[in-house]
Amino acid sequence: MSEELTMPRLSDTMEQGTIGRWLKREGESFHEGDVIAEIETDKATMDFQAYEDGTMLRILVGDGESAALGAPIAIIGAEGEEVPADAPAAASANGDGRDNGAADPAPAAEPEAEAKQQAPVATATEEAPSDGGGLRASPIARRMADAGGLDLRTLAGKGTGPDGRIVKADVERALAGGVKPAPAARAAPQAAPPQPGEGDEVRELTPMLRAVARRMAESKATVPHFYVSSEIDMTRALELRAELNGALADSGEKVGVNDLIVRACAQALVQHPQAHRSYVDGHHVYHSHVHVGIAVALDDGLIVPVLRDAETKGVRQLAAETRDLVKRARDGKLRQSEIEGGTFTVSNMGMFDVAAFSAIINPPESTILAVSSTVERAVVRDGAVVPRKIMSVTLSCDHRACSGADGARLLQTVKRHLEAPTLLLA
Amino acid sequence: MADVTYREALRLALDEELGRDRDVFLMGEEIGRFEGSYKVTAGLWQKYGATRVRETPISEEGFVGAGIGAAMMGLRPVIEIMTINFILVAMDQVINHAAKIRYMFGGKVGVPLVIRAPGGAGAQLTAQHSQSLEAWFAGCPGLKVVAPATPADAYGMLKTAIRDDDPVLFCENLVLYNLTGALPENGDGLVPLGRAAIAREGTDLTLVAHSYTVQRALRVADRLSQDGISVEVVDLRSLRPLDVDTVAESVRKTNRVLVAEEGWSTYGVGAELAARLQRVCFDDLDAPVERVGQAEVPMPYAKPLELAALPLESKIEAAARSLLAECGL
Repeated sequence: MSEELTMPRLSDTMEQGTIGRWLKREGESFHEGDVIAEIETDKATMDFQAYEDGTMLRILVGDGESAALGAPIAIIGAEGEEVPADAPAAASANGDGRDNGAADPAPAAEPEAEAKQQAPVATATEEAPSDGGGLRASPIARRMADAGGLDLRTLAGKGTGPDGRIVKADVERALAGGVKPAPAARAAPQAAPPQPGEGDEVRELTPMLRAVARRMAESKATVPHFYVSSEIDMTRALELRAELNGALADSGEKVGVNDLIVRACAQALVQHPQAHRSYVDGHHVYHSHVHVGIAVALDDGLIVPVLRDAETKGVRQLAAETRDLVKRARDGKLRQSEIEGGTFTVSNMGMFDVAAFSAIINPPESTILAVSSTVERAVVRDGAVVPRKIMSVTLSCDHRACSGADGARLLQTVKRHLEAPTLLLA
Repeated sequence: MADVTYREALRLALDEELGRDRDVFLMGEEIGRFEGSYKVTAGLWQKYGATRVRETPISEEGFVGAGIGAAMMGLRPVIEIMTINFILVAMDQVINHAAKIRYMFGGKVGVPLVIRAPGGAGAQLTAQHSQSLEAWFAGCPGLKVVAPATPADAYGMLKTAIRDDDPVLFCENLVLYNLTGALPENGDGLVPLGRAAIAREGTDLTLVAHSYTVQRALRVADRLSQDGISVEVVDLRSLRPLDVDTVAESVRKTNRVLVAEEGWSTYGVGAELAARLQRVCFDDLDAPVERVGQAEVPMPYAKPLELAALPLESKIEAAARSLLAECGL
């Protein structure tokens, strides 16, 4: 007996998913636990495993296409089984009585007639159904359309509600002559797009880019940011790193500047609980463990895998775990659990020859450290001008969680640990 | 009149009713000399004496039973249960006796009894002492169940409850005791049972709540208004009788409804309203009725877990935004 596979909820914030690719093609069978598709959510690419043994009968949402949460994406069933003629239609036409026809005394002609009627729907998925019966519309939308003399079928496929449901706002727009009546004060999610210039190309955002856009806008708009900057003399830390890497040369391990920075931050966050708490709903949540997010740039976009319990780990372990996370981040192979739960983030643009920048906080975290390039500069030490390797950093803080002094103290400790890097080993 | 706390509003109502009607008397644990665990009966033992402000042993089943007997004989007892969690040992008296006697005596004898009990969570009192059980009682015919959210309603509804000829469970909330608000300047200040109130007017979404959750709902409405979203907050005030008409009228205006409550959602106030509204407002809805309640777990002790389990403003706001997003707002 065939059944629909629907778009699964793979992350808490997921609203729709994109089929990265199907690993089982139509006609191929699979076992329970086999990965049958890769699905891109707003955060990561996840394996979609089969719940039970079966055969792929029909793919409804192809590679690269998106579907809302819970929307049918494929039909599976037993090997050699026919796909019911009405299968890919909307949820309302799920073939009542067809599968158990033998036990059902209903006249045989009826399901046939039904199949004929619905056959065209199966092939013309984008077209409006010939009658309004299959339309999804909220009750108030139906009533308003009725009262306003609007044929709801003209809105088929244009609904903005879940699964394309036609909602009140759609009818209001249609009744107002297609003009969006969104009040100016409201930041409507579908504000009128700017007119692209000649030759410009307009592209949909990937789910990940959409999530980044939404979260960053929300953070900058609702989190009161302030910034604390400092310059850190990295001369000794770089010497320590060179020495470590020399000693580790045979093992193939390598420690990066970033690993030292993460170590220093983890130590500092433990020392300064007021800079390591989140503001949540009028409360301060003090974090008991340091989970450090590492911002990883991708070809287009970014992702922030999380090093868990960083305060318990030495630089070698931090280096090894970071290397693994960064590689899998670039391959799109991170698990959901690996990109959530951070309590602090390091955003390092040192490799881009950046003099200074500040970063947007990744809520509910309350701090993020922006790390710029280390450059050799002439500085005054004990009255003499000497060349030192200087790195400029900027800490962004959520003022609801910590004060300027809290942020400054945190940064001071990070600086102290990096400038006297034997502390990193303590 | 200057603003008073919810606690003082209750005290004032008790004082005035004790003074007005000699049949009214109070009963409960430590409500006399100690003035009650939450000081709602402050000064009343001194003023009215130990006969009318009676201290009881720790014996909820016994003193609720005694209250029922006194009420059947024509007195108007007001019983304080220290927290609603302790009413569980008196369930037989409440459900099988107080709620049933008028029916079982063929209407000849009533039980004009008020049981006051605070509930609610948020002070790390953990699983057994953080419950909001009002929905259990609101499901029982024969009882009236009220849960006011403001000092004025606490004052006016307690007075009405005392004058009511049937048993009323009067649900308070620990967090509300220190909330301040004005009492009515004129009139007797009586507030009828079974009538909801519009706590804030709005046009985009109806947010229904009772007891302390109304205060949360008002703050959520404030936040959403900053994004141009207009939320109407309906304060149920009474859970039984339930004023579906007022809620329905609001939903007909906004076309969208979210019910928030401090208790568990399953079989809760939101469940009941969803069932009623899908019928009376079927053609007015732009999205399914949504609800937010406490996580379906015994309330944890650990602060972060307690916060995670509570229906905080952030959760109510997120549910509201998600519901509105479904409607293109």
